[in-house]
Amino acid sequence: MIVCVAVVGHQNNPLYLQSFTEADDALKLHHVVHCSLDVIDERVNNPKRNAPTLNETFLGLLYPTENYKVYGYLTNTKVKFLMVTTDLDVKDADARNFFRKFHAAYVDAVSNPFHVPGKKIASRSFGARVSTIVKSFGSGTTV
Amino acid sequence: MGREVAGSCLDGVVMEMVSAYCGRFYAAKPELAAGRIEAIGFQVGHQLSERYTMDRPRFTDHLEAIKFICKDFWSELFKKQIDNLKTNHRGTFVLQDNCFPWLTHVSLDPSMESTDATESDPALLGDTAAQTTSMLLYFPCGIIRGALTNLGIPCAVSADMSNLPACSFVVRIKT
Amino acid sequence: MPPLTPPKSGDALFSSVERVNAELFTLTYGAIVRQLLTDLEEVEEVNKQLDQMGYNIGTRLVDEFLAKSNVSRCVDFKETADTIAKLGFKMFLGVTATVTNWDAEGTTCSFVLEDNPLVDFVELPDTCQGLQYCNVLSGVIRGALEMVSMKTEVTWVRDMLRGDDAYEMRVKLTKQVPEEYPYKDDD
Repeated sequence: MIVCVAVVGHQNNPLYLQSFTEADDALKLHHVVHCSLDVIDERVNNPKRNAPTLNETFLGLLYPTENYKVYGYLTNTKVKFLMVTTDLDVKDADARNFFRKFHAAYVDAVSNPFHVPGKKIASRSFGARVSTIVKSFGSGTTV
Repeated sequence: MGREVAGSCLDGVVMEMVSAYCGRFYAAKPELAAGRIEAIGFQVGHQLSERYTMDRPRFTDHLEAIKFICKDFWSELFKKQIDNLKTNHRGTFVLQDNCFPWLTHVSLDPSMESTDATESDPALLGDTAAQTTSMLLYFPCGIIRGALTNLGIPCAVSADMSNLPACSFVVRIKT
Repeated sequence: MPPLTPPKSGDALFSSVERVNAELFTLTYGAIVRQLLTDLEEVEEVNKQLDQMGYNIGTRLVDEFLAKSNVSRCVDFKETADTIAKLGFKMFLGVTATVTNWDAEGTTCSFVLEDNPLVDFVELPDTCQGLQYCNVLSGVIRGALEMVSMKTEVTWVRDMLRGDDAYEMRVKLTKQVPEEYPYKDDD
């Protein structure tokens, strides 16, 4: 189950943050998201270790903790997408597919002429679309 | 192929935007009008670069991003690529389109010379057309600057139309 | 005299014209509206300017439409409205409108659009609720009709950006000059 998703701008400014859990662990999730951003910066700034996937948008597993796994995605425009899940066994293809849809939703949201670049995404339809994508994550593969 | 509309719809709104800013709003202040037209282009370029880089790996350097503008980006916009790309290897790139579509449309469209100018002599009319054209070019300059800025490349973009209908866009990367 | 070839279908017309990426058109229009809101401050003034732009565009598009569609002069307002809905919208925007809600006199009708390329991605912020985002379209209709000697008033009655189920503009014929040809004398 995905418990949290985030979109973060190129100056690490939050553009969208939404948790999908009843549990009151917002602080913990924010901390996980924060640490994951550092992991992304580190990977991008020290690319040698990941040479084959150097410029791929999908960054894979960033930050496994006891309870969560965090996956990341970095666009050409330096926008970071994060997904925090409690699933133990996440298929690579599912994660990639999730980010592709998430990114597409973001692209449409920032195509709104009234969206101000760098500002938080206020769009209701974006929120609804992300919820749908989150709910459909991994459906049919692992229950 | 995605959704399409008639080219005259796009031409129409672009021409009207240019003539509104240069005529109705800032007739006496062309530099203000130019800034607004460029800003409109910037927003469009910023948004389009987000859309058109969606399914591709991140660019490794400036040249790769500029090549993307010349090929894929230009093709999405104009169904053709930039004809010639030159660089001084010191941060300046010249993108030449041998027949820039928006310029051919302007010169073919007599109504652009605004109705109140029809009585004046042809030389003056030509002048107006040249002015309109140079103002119009702030729009694609803004598009290019918006796209490159969003790809992490701050730059200044100007247009050279000394060789119509060819048009060169000069990109100077800010360091 | 107009050519005697039969009028083209909407689809044939749309495929015969030069077409561009709709995203470029949609985003360009959106950026213009956004910039106008910044520069003109008054939403009412933005509405007016969008309408004026549309009017100017409409007066030019009508020539292209008549030249490419093989449509000869329409006999009355009703026929003209049908032609615009079925052929005009299709030729320029790639969508068709429905003509409906005629009044008893046959001088007022509605154009209804369910699909509108102008508003893809658009969400109105709460701060500009008075904005008639699609005013360029009503301006185009008014401008085009005036070129075929029909003076009209066009107003929006439904707008999906405000939560309605479709876009509907009300077109009211206020004055018709029957003897005039759609072409100017010097053509």
